[in-house]
Amino acid sequence: MSRPILEVRDLQVSYAGNRALDLASLAVGAGEVVGVVGANGAGKSTLVNGIAGWSRGAPRVTGEIRLGDVRVDARSTHRRVREGLVLVPEGRVAFGQMTVEDNLCAAFTAPSAPGRRVYSRDEIFELFPRLQERRHHLGHQLSGGERQMLGIGRALMMGPRVLLLDEPSIGLAPKMVTQVLQTLRTLAESGLAILLVEQNVRAAIEVVDRLLLLERGRKVLEGPASEVGDDPRIAEAYLGATAA
Amino acid sequence: MMSTLLQQIINGIVLGHAYALVAIGWTLLLGVARLVNFGHGQMYMLGAFVTWWAVAKAGVPYGLALPIAMLVGALFGFVMQRVMLKATLEQNLVSIMIMTLGFGYVLNGGASMIFGSTGQILETALSGQDINLGELWLTWQDAAIVVAAIVVFITLKWILDGTSLGRLVRMVAEDPKLAMLAGVNVRWVYYGVFAFEGAAVAFAAGMVAPRTPILTSMGFDEVIMTFVVVVLGGIGSVTGSYVAGVALGLFTALFGALVSPAYTTAAAFLVLIAVLVLRPRGLGAGSAAGVH
Repeated sequence: MSRPILEVRDLQVSYAGNRALDLASLAVGAGEVVGVVGANGAGKSTLVNGIAGWSRGAPRVTGEIRLGDVRVDARSTHRRVREGLVLVPEGRVAFGQMTVEDNLCAAFTAPSAPGRRVYSRDEIFELFPRLQERRHHLGHQLSGGERQMLGIGRALMMGPRVLLLDEPSIGLAPKMVTQVLQTLRTLAESGLAILLVEQNVRAAIEVVDRLLLLERGRKVLEGPASEVGDDPRIAEAYLGATAA
Repeated sequence: MMSTLLQQIINGIVLGHAYALVAIGWTLLLGVARLVNFGHGQMYMLGAFVTWWAVAKAGVPYGLALPIAMLVGALFGFVMQRVMLKATLEQNLVSIMIMTLGFGYVLNGGASMIFGSTGQILETALSGQDINLGELWLTWQDAAIVVAAIVVFITLKWILDGTSLGRLVRMVAEDPKLAMLAGVNVRWVYYGVFAFEGAAVAFAAGMVAPRTPILTSMGFDEVIMTFVVVVLGGIGSVTGSYVAGVALGLFTALFGALVSPAYTTAAAFLVLIAVLVLRPRGLGAGSAAGVH
């Protein structure tokens, strides 16, 4: 693998003094899809939020984060986004009071550079025809799946080099899960690096290159999906997640 | 009797547009940043005195004095927000309430040191000239207030709904955290909104203050009436606060003429309480969250 696009070292995140994540290293290369799995509370969201420098709470984050050759860990969230480190968070990903069209207007003009594909709104509509049908609807009138497409669509319009996705399949019908995950696979083939948090391990294994298993904020297993996919600890996390 | 009533309706319309114009900055502030500004009245006072000083002392024409007052107001708003930024990002409303109240007192004290505590008259080219319609009359300044309020409201509405700048502002209004992930510099939107609040209230002061003598202690009355307009209009609703401003102006004028001018503020608050009981989200409700 060539030099990774996203490199994380000694990432530690704590909420009010409680350590939620302690990760020694993580790297994602161009065109690679890395899946992050683990039970509820294992630190999966904390990981992707920490990389993006974002949270709905107020955590303390330390560690080294590199995007290509550039260290971004001291930069504010919107600057990381503008550099191409883009997060689609869990839960609310669309502006409910704005139309689909307004949701799909980038707040800035992303530079088109090698390894940075900036999608136009028409290309997003091609990728998700459902959004085009509902272009004049407000965000809060959409179904969960449509909102998720909207979140991914907006992310792609910002020309991501690394796409961080937190539970894109949550609340989706099984058919939609497959569609969304297959879309991610296609995007990666054009060179995008993807870090995907997913509770639906069985569906995730179909599209990821590598899997990362978190337990209580620490990495306990990492390897190619084909090798570690059958590891009993993965199944355990999966069952734990289902039971929760 | 008929002409007295008509005259009061004209007074009410002028007063209402004055209320709406004074409230526009706070409306946006509340709609976008979910912030209150209890220094609003003193910022109005500052705008009035800067305009007065420019016209009466520095000999600047009124048309140039207004943008000077707006610039001072915008700067003051920016500095205020710079100081309060942490509390804003955390939406710590109690701190913000106290800090803005504190800024108001500081402004009040500073202004009486600089401008003295005697009343002044802000005279403009328009305020001395009457328009007579039979038995009815208003000044050209009054007419200018109505026109200015309508223009400012329509322009603001257009910017919010129809431009990319407005879209950024609406994004921050609805979900500042999500806006960050869309690449929006949320801090600068907050700075901008507070600078707008400062400039807008200074402009309103420069327009409205010529109607009455100005005093450095007049801030508190202004802040109270503005607060009524903003809340009555439905927290942060642009259209709602215009309607509420005009309605409150008509109510004040008619109540003052037909009942008693001594109790208009008390009566206005009774109406406010009644409206809040019947329509908890104000007159502009229906457009739920965000600025409209």
